[in-house]
Amino acid sequence: MRDTLKVFLRNKKAAIGLSIVLAYVIIALFAPLLIEANPIARVGRPHVAPDADHLLGTTRMGRDVFTQLIYGTRTSLAVGLFAGFLVVAIGTVLGIAAGYFGGWVDEIINFCTNVILVIPQLPLLLVIAAFLGQTSPFVIAIIIGITSWAWGARVTRAQTMTLRRREYIQASELLGEPAHRMIFVELFPNLLSIIGFNFIGSVTYTIITQATLEFLGLGNPMAVSWGTMLYHAQTTSAMTVGAWWEVVAPAAAVAGIGVGLSLLNFGVDEISNPRLRTLGTIAAATRAQEKIDRARSAGKLQEAVR
Amino acid sequence: MAFVLRRLGFYIAAFFIAATINFILPRLMPGNPIDIMFAQATTTIPPEARAALIETFGFATGPLHEQYFAYLKSVFTGDLGYSIRYYPQTVNERLGWALPWTLLLAGTATVLAFALGSLIGVFAAWKRGGGFDALVTPASLALQAIPPLVIAILALFTFGLVLRWLPTGYAYNPSLDPGFNLTFIGSVFFHALMPVFSLMIVFIGGYLVTMRNNMIGQLGEDHVIMGLAKGLSERRVKFNYAARNALLPSVTSLGLTLGAILGGSLVTEVVFNYPGLGQMLYIGIVTRDYPLIQGQLLIMTLAILTANLIVDLAYVLLDPRLRRA
Repeated sequence: MRDTLKVFLRNKKAAIGLSIVLAYVIIALFAPLLIEANPIARVGRPHVAPDADHLLGTTRMGRDVFTQLIYGTRTSLAVGLFAGFLVVAIGTVLGIAAGYFGGWVDEIINFCTNVILVIPQLPLLLVIAAFLGQTSPFVIAIIIGITSWAWGARVTRAQTMTLRRREYIQASELLGEPAHRMIFVELFPNLLSIIGFNFIGSVTYTIITQATLEFLGLGNPMAVSWGTMLYHAQTTSAMTVGAWWEVVAPAAAVAGIGVGLSLLNFGVDEISNPRLRTLGTIAAATRAQEKIDRARSAGKLQEAVR
Repeated sequence: MAFVLRRLGFYIAAFFIAATINFILPRLMPGNPIDIMFAQATTTIPPEARAALIETFGFATGPLHEQYFAYLKSVFTGDLGYSIRYYPQTVNERLGWALPWTLLLAGTATVLAFALGSLIGVFAAWKRGGGFDALVTPASLALQAIPPLVIAILALFTFGLVLRWLPTGYAYNPSLDPGFNLTFIGSVFFHALMPVFSLMIVFIGGYLVTMRNNMIGQLGEDHVIMGLAKGLSERRVKFNYAARNALLPSVTSLGLTLGAILGGSLVTEVVFNYPGLGQMLYIGIVTRDYPLIQGQLLIMTLAILTANLIVDLAYVLLDPRLRRA
């Protein structure tokens, strides 16, 4: 366990990504301890620029932008994690079923996956959200969960099919192991890295998509999240009156978690696929090889002289 | 040929399913969509027109399967009915007006992002671990992680409102008459500049990383080492030997990202008030104009399917193995 962590932290991208994500998680968990104020209380005059009282200024409604940002982190992360879990659960189950059982099961699942992949996601989400009316963050998470599993299912299916042809799987099949044991004991542990990759990607996608849906006015405007902050900023023309803090704060929050999660994902990818490693590792290996070569040729020279 | 025909069959089936989802969705939803819909109309719609509207929208009374067949007929004959918000204009008229702008915005951004991303990916992979790679790859990854919404808002704020270098909305200066002249084209160009760039920037990173990773895989292959051993120029090995093969998975990923680009274009259009499909879908949603919304989903699906077919054809051109059949 400690070794895994060490390998993980030695990768600069993974370490930076993990720190950013952890910072967001801590803020989300301890939000009420950090700030006691109510995020939708009127605490000042409209559009006050950032100062000591209001670190990130106030909105048109006189609400504190910093308080909203902190509480918004809770909503966005909760929705991201919940929908990410849904996406991965559906995608993994379907992907393993298709890849493991093959035949008509595979035909049906693969067809559905491919169809969902070519139907434009965001417009479909918008249409569902529009028909449902003003949707709460929780409902948005469910809609995203049930429409975005296709990519994960596709990747998991491909990996399951490769694994299924491996000798150890074939061997345990000959031994007569039941399907559930094959799937949970033999296949699942080997799919963990793909599932993790899928999960981080899905969380990123959900956070961004939720913010987008809410910005477009499809969320519940009473909820406090980064998306509704952007929505209110847009509808009160915050930018045209020069209240940049109202727009920049939530935009930076969304961008920050996006960067953190994708650095984490890219780092994990590099750790599991050594070919992609860059810079330090390769340079160090080359230097070491040169040193050995030099030592060897020097030794041979000495032998020849002798 | 068999490959293209098989794909074509799949796209037709996919469109059929998208159309069916479009039919089912409003019927699954709580409340009566017809009432909500007409409550939002800006102009008073005469009762007989209202009946006709309900009919073309597929909400005619009758058993569900009859409604479904009536709906399918209207979809496949290309009659998407009337817009509620823009009555008496038809949905087709509104979509026909908006589609070219989206094609211009999303098309230019896709082509630029794919070309630039792939090219930079080739160079980054060739000198993997070098200064260029170390600068470009993490930067593009960071940009890729920032949603189109954020990039568009920040670009609009910086270049449109603070610096005032570029126009803040619409596709051309409304005081100009649309026509094929230099002033008008120039106006279209400057209005498209910011939306195209903010959309392009988000997608460059994905193509760059895909190309870089494929290229790194290719550089270890025998034919590349062979090319170098033969003493071919670096340029030739790089582009004709390695990059050509590395491009195939990139083209597949291009097909898969088209939906995301359309989604990004949707958001970008709303932020920049650009009169494309996305902006129209937004208006449709805000005013609960269901015929317009449904027409949007259909035309966007159709656009994605067509673009995917083009990608498939490009694939056949690039991969000789598919041409043999």
